[in-house]
Amino acid sequence: MTRAARLAVPTAAVLLLVSLPLWANSGVVFLAGVTMTSAVFALSWNLLFGYTGLASFGSAGFFSIGAYVSAVLLREGYGSLFLLVVVLAGLVGAAVSWLVGCVALRRSKGIHLAILTLALAELLRITLSHTRWLGSEDGLPNIPRPTLPFGFVSVDLAAGNNYYWFLCAACGVLTAALWWIAHGRFGRVLRSIRQDPERAAFIGIDVHACRLGAFTLSGGFGAAVGALYAPWSQIVTPDLGSMMHSTQPILFTLIGGATSFWGPMIGAAAFAVIDFGTRTLVGMSEIVTGSILLAIVLFAPHGLAGAWRRLAGARVRPNPNGNTAAGGAIGRPAMREGAW
Amino acid sequence: MFALINGLSAGMAIFLVAAGLTLMFGVMRILNFAHGAFFMIGAYVAATLVGSGPHSIATLIGGAAVGGAAVGLLGLAVERVVFRRIQHVEEHFMLIATFAVMLICVGAVKLIWGLDFVSVDPPPGLDGAVSIGDLFVPQFSLFVIGAGVAVFLVLELFIHRLWMGKMIVSITADRWMANLLGLNVPVAVTLAVVASFALAGVAGGLLLPNQTLSPGLGDAYLLLGFNAVIIGGLGNVRGAFVAAILLGLIDSFNAVLLPQAPGIAVYVGMIGFLLLRPEGIFAGRRA
Repeated sequence: MTRAARLAVPTAAVLLLVSLPLWANSGVVFLAGVTMTSAVFALSWNLLFGYTGLASFGSAGFFSIGAYVSAVLLREGYGSLFLLVVVLAGLVGAAVSWLVGCVALRRSKGIHLAILTLALAELLRITLSHTRWLGSEDGLPNIPRPTLPFGFVSVDLAAGNNYYWFLCAACGVLTAALWWIAHGRFGRVLRSIRQDPERAAFIGIDVHACRLGAFTLSGGFGAAVGALYAPWSQIVTPDLGSMMHSTQPILFTLIGGATSFWGPMIGAAAFAVIDFGTRTLVGMSEIVTGSILLAIVLFAPHGLAGAWRRLAGARVRPNPNGNTAAGGAIGRPAMREGAW
Repeated sequence: MFALINGLSAGMAIFLVAAGLTLMFGVMRILNFAHGAFFMIGAYVAATLVGSGPHSIATLIGGAAVGGAAVGLLGLAVERVVFRRIQHVEEHFMLIATFAVMLICVGAVKLIWGLDFVSVDPPPGLDGAVSIGDLFVPQFSLFVIGAGVAVFLVLELFIHRLWMGKMIVSITADRWMANLLGLNVPVAVTLAVVASFALAGVAGGLLLPNQTLSPGLGDAYLLLGFNAVIIGGLGNVRGAFVAAILLGLIDSFNAVLLPQAPGIAVYVGMIGFLLLRPEGIFAGRRA
C-alpha cells in the first residue's frame, strides 16, 4: 500500500460526496446527507466506546435534544444565527450529558450503564411525545432551512443543493474536531483508561473525570449533529430518540471497527449501501446487516477498518498481553467487569 | 381496584418475558437483546396456528406450546452457532451479537409474515368480563395473571426442587466451580438456554390476544422485561417475579393518577432503582 494510494482513497470519497448532487438523483442525495449526519453521530458515540470503553445505549437521546433545539429555534426565525444555533444545541447536549454522566458514571458501568442510558433516552422520548408545544407524537414539521449571512453576501441554504454542501462542510468540521480530540493528549488518556482503568488511575489519571469528559463531549457532538440533521430532514419526531436510533451508531461502529477512528464512518457508508441495495425486499436489509454484524463479532472484531488495515499491510504491533496495539478489544476476560 | 387488577395483569405479562431473560443471564451472563424477537416469533407462530379467531382456550394454550417448542428448537440452533462462541468475548460484544441475532429475526419475520398488522381475538370464555363485587374484570386479564403465576410456579419447582434446576443454580453461582465438581456444565447450559427461548415463545403465544402483531412488537416488551430483570437482580427468577408485578402496578397506577403522561413512571422508577440499588432488590441472594 503506497502512500499515494492511502491518500487517494479518502480524497476520492470526499470528491464523490461533494459532487454527488451533480450526477445523482435527489433521493440518493438525501440519503447521502442522512448518512453523513449518522456517520458523525457514530463517531461521537465511538469516542465513548472505542476510546473510553463505555457503551451508552441512549446516545439517540442527545441527537434528539440537538434536533429539537435546532427545530424550535429555526421555526422561531433565528435562521440567520444558524451556526450559533448548532453551537448552542451542542452546548445544551453537552450540559445534559454532563448531568447524566455525573449521576450515571459514578454508580454504574457495564450492563447497568447500558440499561440506564437506554431508560433515560426512552424517558426523554416519552416525555417529548407528550409535550404539546413540541408537537407530541407528530413532532415538528416544516423546519425551514436557514439563510446564512457572511458580511456582504448571504447564502440561502434553502435553494437547490446548498444545504447539502453546507452539511458536507459542517460534518467535515465536526469530524476534524473529533479527530483532533481523539488524536490529542486527551484521546490517548482515554485509550489508556479503556485498556486498563486501574493502571491508568495508578499513573495519576483522574479516571472518573476523564470518563465524564468523554461522556460530555460525546453528548455535545451528538446534539450538534442532531441540530444539523433537523433542517435537512425538515421534520423532527420523538422517534429520533428511540432505541432503534440509539443502536445505529453501535451498528456502524461495529461494522466499521471500533478500534479505528474512521471505522464508524466506513460502517455508516457500508450500512447505507446495504440499505439502498436491499430496499426493494422487505426485511432483507435487517437480515444482511444482522448477518454481517454477527460475522464480525465472531470472526473479525476489528471490523471493516481492521480488515482493511490488515489487507493494507499496516503493521499492528502486538503488546505483551498478546493483543494488538490498536485493538485489545477481545480476549481480556480478566478485566470484563471493569473494562466498560 | 381496577388499576390493581390491570397492574397485576400487566406485571404478569412482563414477567412472562422477563423469566426467560433472567434465566439466560443467570447461566450465560448474556443479556439477550434477541429475547424480544424470539417472543415475537413465538407470537407469530402461534397466531399462524390458531388463526385470528381461536375456538377455545385450549387452542390458544396449544398454539402457545407449539410456539414455545418451535422457538426452543430455534434457540438450540442459536446457542450452538452463536452464544457458545461468544462466551469469552467482552461484554459489549456479547450484547452486540445478540443484537445482531435480533436484527436477523426481525428481518426474517418481515420476510415471512410481511409488515401487516395481525390481530387475534381472545377465544370464547376469555372475551367477556366477570364481575367481582361491583367491579368488572376482563377475563383475559385473569387468564394472563393465571398464566404468569403458573409459569412462575413451574419455574420455582424446576429450579429449587429438581436436580437439573439445582445444577443450573450452582452454575449461576459459580460456573468454574460447578465444572470442577464434575457437573456437566455444557448440557445444563444448553438446557437453560433452550428453556429460556421456549419461555419467550410461550409468552408470545399466551399474550397473543393482548395485542396486534407487528414486526416492532418485540421492542416494547423487551425494554420492560429488561427493567424487571435488572430490578429483580440479574439471574434471579423470584426477583424478576416481584419486580415485574411492581412495574405492572407502577404503570397501571400511573395511567390512573397521571393520565396525561402514561408510561413515564416505569422509567423513572427504573432509573431510581438502577441508581440506588444497582444490584436489584434482592441483592446478595441469588436464585
